[in-house]
Amino acid sequence: MDDDPLDETIRAAAREYHRPPDPPREAMWQAVARERRLDRARRPAPRRWLPWAGAAAAAALVAIGVGIGRLSRSGESPPAPAVIAAGPSTAGPRVNETAYRLATTDHLERSEAFLTLFRASVRTGSQERLASATARELLATNRLLLDSPAAQGRRTRLLLEDLELVLAEIAQLRPDATAGDRELIREGLERGGMMSRLRTAVPAGTTPTRGDL
Amino acid sequence: MPAKTRNPFSRPRVRGPDDLDPLRAEPVNDRDLIGRVLAGDARAEREMYDAHVDRVFRLVYRMVGDTHRAQDYTQEAFIRGFRRLADFRGDSALSTWLCAIAVSVTLNGLRSMKRTREREVGLEEAPSVGTRSVEADPDLKTRLASAIDGLPDGYRTVFVMHDVEGYTHEEIASTLGVQPGTSKAQLFRARARLREALADFARD
Repeated sequence: MDDDPLDETIRAAAREYHRPPDPPREAMWQAVARERRLDRARRPAPRRWLPWAGAAAAAALVAIGVGIGRLSRSGESPPAPAVIAAGPSTAGPRVNETAYRLATTDHLERSEAFLTLFRASVRTGSQERLASATARELLATNRLLLDSPAAQGRRTRLLLEDLELVLAEIAQLRPDATAGDRELIREGLERGGMMSRLRTAVPAGTTPTRGDL
Repeated sequence: MPAKTRNPFSRPRVRGPDDLDPLRAEPVNDRDLIGRVLAGDARAEREMYDAHVDRVFRLVYRMVGDTHRAQDYTQEAFIRGFRRLADFRGDSALSTWLCAIAVSVTLNGLRSMKRTREREVGLEEAPSVGTRSVEADPDLKTRLASAIDGLPDGYRTVFVMHDVEGYTHEEIASTLGVQPGTSKAQLFRARARLREALADFARD
């Protein structure tokens, strides 16, 4: 099979065939890691969290519904239904964009405050329990906002999607989480520019920089 | 857990002096690493990626010859690999398993691209490859590249893996899920096609 002298010429020339450059390792890893974070966020929560998630979702639903109801009443007649967490409806719910925007801004403010404090607490690692409880609550609200038919703005949607990943990671922190686990989340925050995007999205001066999670 | 087969990549390889460092992955702690990934350890995922990405990217790039597509296919291979890691039975080395996924992703991508190109250009207008186009180009490397591009997918994959990247027939067989004899036969046919395409070089 290897007797033909042309084979050797071909093999020698073939080494130049599509000679690979250095792999763009970091760029590829960012894409892989992003998909993996999405995978983890999509994974069903462990059973022990179900009561928490349910209670947090219910509380958030009531709070947002009441808030939107109040906001809607003053501007429209008859009052628009609270549509922020509308289920499947063939009639096509009416969307109060102002109410949605206000609810989103409030949520992003709270998220920014929370993440600021979380980032500061990464080194001490003393408040996982509080952090994960708050993250679960914010996560429930985040999902309601993402599911709302009013969530049309691409920029806001992308921000909420990325925020969901971060909150999901913090929500899954265990009390015995290592410093490395917390550091990974903090790195994710930095890489995605989450804090600056949140600050751009919410009015200035509303975020505490000290306090408890 | 079934007993692991001999790691086919563990022996030293003889490579040409102008070869890029292939960074052959050594799956020393595959089992431990897989366990940590399956337990949700994100750092273990990074370790696994670091251990195998160069090898996977090299192979994919050799097959597609384009950085952006090689990047896409490599990413996709790792994403699928992580998602399906629980199905990895340890019958082959982890690196072989990842390369198998990468080859599958790449071939599917190339087929899809070919279909798109055919739809856009039309078969009769598609640029010819292999023996027809080589006569206009006197450069051996260019003509060889064109001839390799013109090989059927199966021949080309085996030729690239064996003659370009230095895999053994056993490694190729394990990666492609065929018998070593099939790999040898495909390489024989691939070389025959290339000899035919470059026959005038032999005459010169």
